[in-house]
Amino acid sequence: MLRFFSDVWKNFKEYIVLVVLLVISLIVLTSNQKPAAKKISSVFFGTFANFSSVVSDALDITKYKIENAGLQKRNTELMLEVSRLRQYGIENSELKDLLGIKDTTKYPLTPASVVSKSLSGAQGTFTIDVGKSDSVKPGMPVINEFGLIGIVYSTSSSFAIVRTLKDIDLSITVKDERSRVDGIMKWNGSNLVIINVPKTYDIEPGDRIITSELSSIIAMPLPVGIVTGLNKVETGIFNEVTVKPFVNFAKAQQVFVIKVVESKEKDNLELNFFNRK
Amino acid sequence: MRSQYIWSIIFFFPLLLFQTTILPIIAIKGIVPDLIVILLVFYSMRLGQLTGTVLGFVYGFFFDVITGSLLGTTMLSLTIAGFVAGYFSNENKRDLYFNNYTFVLIVAICSIINSGFNSFFASIDLNTNIMKLLLNQGILPSLYTALVSVLVVVFYPKRSFD
Repeated sequence: MLRFFSDVWKNFKEYIVLVVLLVISLIVLTSNQKPAAKKISSVFFGTFANFSSVVSDALDITKYKIENAGLQKRNTELMLEVSRLRQYGIENSELKDLLGIKDTTKYPLTPASVVSKSLSGAQGTFTIDVGKSDSVKPGMPVINEFGLIGIVYSTSSSFAIVRTLKDIDLSITVKDERSRVDGIMKWNGSNLVIINVPKTYDIEPGDRIITSELSSIIAMPLPVGIVTGLNKVETGIFNEVTVKPFVNFAKAQQVFVIKVVESKEKDNLELNFFNRK
Repeated sequence: MRSQYIWSIIFFFPLLLFQTTILPIIAIKGIVPDLIVILLVFYSMRLGQLTGTVLGFVYGFFFDVITGSLLGTTMLSLTIAGFVAGYFSNENKRDLYFNNYTFVLIVAICSIINSGFNSFFASIDLNTNIMKLLLNQGILPSLYTALVSVLVVVFYPKRSFD
């Protein structure tokens, strides 16, 4: 009997090991949402991110010099725009006072640097250099000057992992800024798409897409991207809308965490993906 | 020989650091070459199929926990890639493989397998067109990875260093 097993092992050990490791991988794959798995991940990425941040800082020094000139020009343009918007702001505030609408436009921002990026086709994640010690929590939106980057997924004491829009596991409720039509946007592996959009909905190429107030994750209007096309599905009643994000994920380096997590009351009412077990 | 096992693990961490900090700078349309696959193929061919399979599993585990990917996806895909790369671990032909472009071809095959399985398990969704997904996420990154692996062929010592 022992000899039989010995022969089997000798002849098929590569296959046996392969099957055992694949089974372990599948078991791990199904245990992703368990707190232990998240804790292990936060310990590993927190430790590794210390090294990443050193390399990232060294790279940034040379990059900053080049970026500085461009930013000064952009600063001037923004100063002019701010001046114009300030006027609108005053008018807006006066009109809101008249109508008694609550002001929801101030968001606390925490600046952060991207210390590492994982840009695989299906799962786009960033590691940023702010964490629990900066009061950053899972669920907080991350933006840069162009628009929404993603959502904080996991935190260690000084670092956080951000799931970018280019991550298959992240779905966000968005809306067309012009027609106010809502939809669910997700990354399909090659494009950002708004799925199951009824063919009768008014969405056209060139429309700006922003996050919707219906979202249980980000209930504030953040710019997301621009509609580049409608994939006309021949059968059925739904279309798929392709969106080009405003953010260049490969180049994003300086980001901001918006320190807002939707209220618990709303969280309990709706099913957002952080509650999914 | 034993030191090679240790080096295969030690090399992984600086390479992952390079992969996640510097490589995104040379991304083409968000696609970056996968240096981890190149390292895995290299060591699978040098150390054999069994070691390659286990090494793929270990690399995948560290990759998943460090980058925050869905835990288990890269473990699974790199385990299979390491197993396949191990098929080309022939002591007599090893140096021949490393000194010509066969190595590049093996990297391309393993990279397609890795990206294909990774994207499949990361995105099990009935609405997703799997073939389109594999084409977009399997072929293009693999070509880029294979292109970068040419460096191994170029810099590999002409005489064996065993």
